[in-house]
Amino acid sequence: MDPRRAETGKNSDQIQSGHVYHLALDIGGSLAKLVYFTKNDEHIVGSEKKKSPMKASGISNSSRNSPVLNGRLNFKKFETSKINDCLEFINSMKLHLGGCQQPESPGSQTITIKATGGGAYKYADLFKEKFRISLDKEDEMDCLVAGANFLLETIHQEAFTYMGNQKQFVWIDKNDLYPYLLVNIGSGVGMIKVEGDGKFERVSGTSIGGGTFWGLGKLLTKCKSFDELLDLSYRGNNRAVDMLVGDIYGGMDYSKIGLSSTTIASSFGRAISENKERDDYKPEDIARSLLRMISNNIGQISYLTALRFGLKRIFFGGFFIRRHPFTMDTLSVAVNFWSKGEAKAMFLQHEGFLGAVGAFMSSDKHGLKELLANQKVERPPSKLSFSLDQTQVPQQDGELNGDESIECSVYGA
Amino acid sequence: MATKGSNSIHRSSSRPLLDLSKAEIQGNVEEKYPTILLPNQSDDLSHLALDIGGSLIKLVYFSRHEDQSTNDKRMKILKDKLGILNGNRRSYPILGGRLHFVKFETNKINECLEFIYSKKLHCGGWESHHSDSTNDQNAVIKATGGGAFKFADLFKERLGISLDKEDEMDCLVAGANFLLKAIRHEAYTHMEGQKEFIQIDPNDLFPYLLVNIGSGVSMIKVDGNGKFERVSGTNVGGGTYWGLGRLLTNCSSFDELLELSQKGDNRTTDMLVGDIYGTDYPKIGLSASTIASSFGKATLENKELEEYRPEDISLSLLRMISYNIGQISYLNALRFGLKRIFFGGFFIRGHAYTMDAISFAVHFWSKGTAQAMFLRHEGFLGALGAFMSYEKHGLDDLMVHQFVERFPMGAPYTGGKIHGPPLRNLNEKASLENISWMEKFLQKGTEITAPVPMTPPGTTGLGGFEVPLSKGSTLRSDASALNVGVLHLIPTLEVFPLLVDPKMYEPNTVDLSDHSELEYWLTILSEHLPDLVDKAVASEGGTDDSKRRGDAFARAFSAHLARLMEEPAAYGKLGLANLLEMREECLREFQFVDAYRSIKQRENEASLAVLHDLLMELDSLDEETRLLTLIEGVLAANIFDWGSRACVDLYHKGTIIEIYRMSRNKMQRPWRVDDFDAFKERMLGSGDKKPLPHGRALLFVDNSGADIVLGMLPLARELLRRGTEVVLVGNSLPALNDVTAMELPDIVAEAAKHCDILRRAAESGGLLVDAMTNTLDGSKEKLPSVALMVVENGCGSPCIDFRQVSSELAAAAKDADLIILEGMGRSLHTNLYAQFKCDALKLAMVKNQRLAEKLVQGNIYDCVCKYEPAY
Repeated sequence: MDPRRAETGKNSDQIQSGHVYHLALDIGGSLAKLVYFTKNDEHIVGSEKKKSPMKASGISNSSRNSPVLNGRLNFKKFETSKINDCLEFINSMKLHLGGCQQPESPGSQTITIKATGGGAYKYADLFKEKFRISLDKEDEMDCLVAGANFLLETIHQEAFTYMGNQKQFVWIDKNDLYPYLLVNIGSGVGMIKVEGDGKFERVSGTSIGGGTFWGLGKLLTKCKSFDELLDLSYRGNNRAVDMLVGDIYGGMDYSKIGLSSTTIASSFGRAISENKERDDYKPEDIARSLLRMISNNIGQISYLTALRFGLKRIFFGGFFIRRHPFTMDTLSVAVNFWSKGEAKAMFLQHEGFLGAVGAFMSSDKHGLKELLANQKVERPPSKLSFSLDQTQVPQQDGELNGDESIECSVYGA
Repeated sequence: MATKGSNSIHRSSSRPLLDLSKAEIQGNVEEKYPTILLPNQSDDLSHLALDIGGSLIKLVYFSRHEDQSTNDKRMKILKDKLGILNGNRRSYPILGGRLHFVKFETNKINECLEFIYSKKLHCGGWESHHSDSTNDQNAVIKATGGGAFKFADLFKERLGISLDKEDEMDCLVAGANFLLKAIRHEAYTHMEGQKEFIQIDPNDLFPYLLVNIGSGVSMIKVDGNGKFERVSGTNVGGGTYWGLGRLLTNCSSFDELLELSQKGDNRTTDMLVGDIYGTDYPKIGLSASTIASSFGKATLENKELEEYRPEDISLSLLRMISYNIGQISYLNALRFGLKRIFFGGFFIRGHAYTMDAISFAVHFWSKGTAQAMFLRHEGFLGALGAFMSYEKHGLDDLMVHQFVERFPMGAPYTGGKIHGPPLRNLNEKASLENISWMEKFLQKGTEITAPVPMTPPGTTGLGGFEVPLSKGSTLRSDASALNVGVLHLIPTLEVFPLLVDPKMYEPNTVDLSDHSELEYWLTILSEHLPDLVDKAVASEGGTDDSKRRGDAFARAFSAHLARLMEEPAAYGKLGLANLLEMREECLREFQFVDAYRSIKQRENEASLAVLHDLLMELDSLDEETRLLTLIEGVLAANIFDWGSRACVDLYHKGTIIEIYRMSRNKMQRPWRVDDFDAFKERMLGSGDKKPLPHGRALLFVDNSGADIVLGMLPLARELLRRGTEVVLVGNSLPALNDVTAMELPDIVAEAAKHCDILRRAAESGGLLVDAMTNTLDGSKEKLPSVALMVVENGCGSPCIDFRQVSSELAAAAKDADLIILEGMGRSLHTNLYAQFKCDALKLAMVKNQRLAEKLVQGNIYDCVCKYEPAY
């Protein structure tokens, strides 16, 4: 039993007890994501001689005088509108005491942490003023790609497909990973062609993304949160508001062009009835229709873009998905539909944290990748310490709420 | 001058009485001679096709008009001489006629039914005026659109017709293919409020992507006629815009929602790149004003729906959907290697913002390598396609040069506008047959006539991700919806065979898409209008009826001009020639057959009176001097032009002869453009070398009076004397004081009395068969003489478009090796830069300062004598 499993609160004991090293931030339009490393006291590697992978692999460790620490990489998120909570949280971790950057320096000194996302610019002053934390801004897309590459290359069960409630992990040969399309669904949607480490290009995108879902949903349903809207959508039926092919052709399939009668011909196309007002529609139905519209559209544009650039795989990430089964299902259906079964949508276990992981990776102080690469040489993959320690028990909505951690090793400062 | 029945315009004697469709030339001819029946009875019903959509019903119907082929003796001789076989050279008949485009709102389907009934479109149009409609119970009309199913019973019950349902997509594609083939500038681009018409080579049309934006969006790859595939689509379409728009605003109609978007500012609802980064994100080329997330801003604020302006929501929605459609369309075009993307469907409806947004998206995502295109007849694709699905419509065989689009003032009532019925009180009239739209027009005149505004049209917005510059509050939402005219099908029109490169040929030298040009010429036409109305009314004896019509004409033409100021692209691609022709068409629409009839007659008589003296004088000169004097004479006589304001002023100051003398005296060489020496070299040679005379010359004549009698006829006589056959090319229909082909034989006959050369040539050309039967026998022995002939050019305009000329002119051109274009309309406004396969001489006096500056860097009354040997 992992004690952290139950600890999703803001001021968990775990943080108090563990020592926080390395932290990185991704502050997006809606959510702020944190990735930080905590050392497990019992796992401190005191003597590098015995266990150091560096040594075993024969790589000179001369530049590194730091001890290798075993611990956990933790993931956490906050709503950006509650950025102060995030600040409080960071403050509570006592990074300056934990010795992440300059352990020996006094608390009065400014601390620098890696950050990405639009908010890294927007809230830079706030961080500085409140806690003398200086945000070292990393390019968002660099981070996203670095995060995805890292996760896909190193975590055994990172990518999966999701169709008809069937979640299936896909093992990807790291030598056959590139090129792929990374579709990051945040407020808007960025589509990035990735050809290797640091080799990528934003090739497309759309403004119809998570922000559209949440923004329109908020205006139409009076939901108080994104999650509430998602929950609603799960219970809705889009037939009430969408115009289906059957509505146009009198229940018959329009088989000539390969459309079944349940295909959506026009999202919200039925909401034009003169004698119905907004309140006459169930919020569930509206939420459902919105979700399908947006997922469908992203799936379609992604597929067309992958096709255009000859990309084998499409990975969807970003906070919009949040492993929400219905969203993933719609995206998968869209890709399946438009590709006539040729392509499959894939998702990442840590979709929301690509940017934060990438920002984390952008500092090489912790040597995470280096250590990992060597570990891989040394150990059989099955014993990779980088497996998720959290059991795969999806909650009802498949949402993991973002507070989780994975076991790994880093250099201490 | 007696007019020949076939070419004249009949007018009911008492008052203007036209039914809706027949408000154009020869309208009533159809009713006077309704004996022509289609050879094949099954063709009777191929007159009407319907596209019944959710909000609009579109009708396309065909009205036949009598074949123009004149059967007089002149024509017979012409046919022998020129080898014209029965007017057209086809083994199968093609019907000449008109395609009409009409819209009704679907919820006012009764008006549509009334309209069909009143025009008897349900029983085969005008042919059945005389037949009992007892056999019409089984009439079948082609129809498409969802309503073809829904309203089938209604049509059966009310009109006794069965709707034969055609597949929607088949119709859409057939309609688009037809339009892109038949109408030269059907397609246009729309960027930042500016329309630009694109000429598409029909041989290079396929494959293309047709994006039809209805409730949903279909994307169709079209490879040819009947060869197409729905390759993609999106469920985010017009229905999404209207559906979400309705839920988010209190708009009660789609149009209202669209209208709102023009005053919107999407920054209040959309999350822009700047909202996230506080600045640009240059690394990936996104500016701060790029929309990062549609409606994303609503997630950041705790505002109720009611706190957002509906205008902003509408704009945000419109952009979201338009950009998305543009993007997916581009990706599909790319995927299938399609060169062009055409957008259509009710979502667009000529709405400038929508078109701008889609264009922007295509431009943005293709990095400028692709362009969104739109179709002028966008709403009628389905109906046209249904029309094309009749087995025998003959339209497939027609070529682009056989179509002429006209914009009668009646058209706003019968088509082109989406606002309601052609006539408001259609049901109130006891006899639907007797409705005169002109009556309505006179009543409504004040409503639709606006003074010609002289301010540049407002741009309709950037259409980008950027915030629109202009809020467009002064624009009506349908202002940019283009007028749809009546499409005349004239199978006898042909491309002039002597054009060097018909594909590259552009008749107009003045392009009115340049706003300052448009403004200038609209002002000119506007100022000239009162004088024209005076002449028109006087030409009919100043009766009350003619005054009323003169008034209506003035209002109608002003309305055309006002419309053009509002939307320069309203009538499609427009050159000065088209504008001048529109004025003539408008006169004819108001039944002014020939506004300058009496003036032309007076001037002809005055000039003929002095012709004899002129010829004597010419004959006393040596060859070289004579040639120069003749050319001077043409240029000097070209001053008599009622189309030129400067010349109209001259008329008020002196007599014809005085003006002519003055003009002659001004002939100082070198002229502004002076190729006379080259022409003389070709005609007379130098030294002992005498060049062969031309075999046949085509003389495109301009004005009546001195211009033809003292200018062009003496030149023709000189050519005849040198052994060159001469064909005088006159207008088919009157335009200003231009001499028409119908008037020419009488003028020649009169001139022949003074000149033996002319007489013998005219006899040989068959021009004097009526007038001089006596001498015909006697002179037979003295022949052969080279012939002097007259052909009509197929135009009713002061200009000429060589892509569309009469078949007799085309036939006459076959053996021609010299053409002479005379006058501003035919050699300056048009064709100054045209290249011909034979020798060409262009002669004109420039009677407009601006034109003189623009075309020849000269001044008013400068002369142009441009000679170009065969290319």
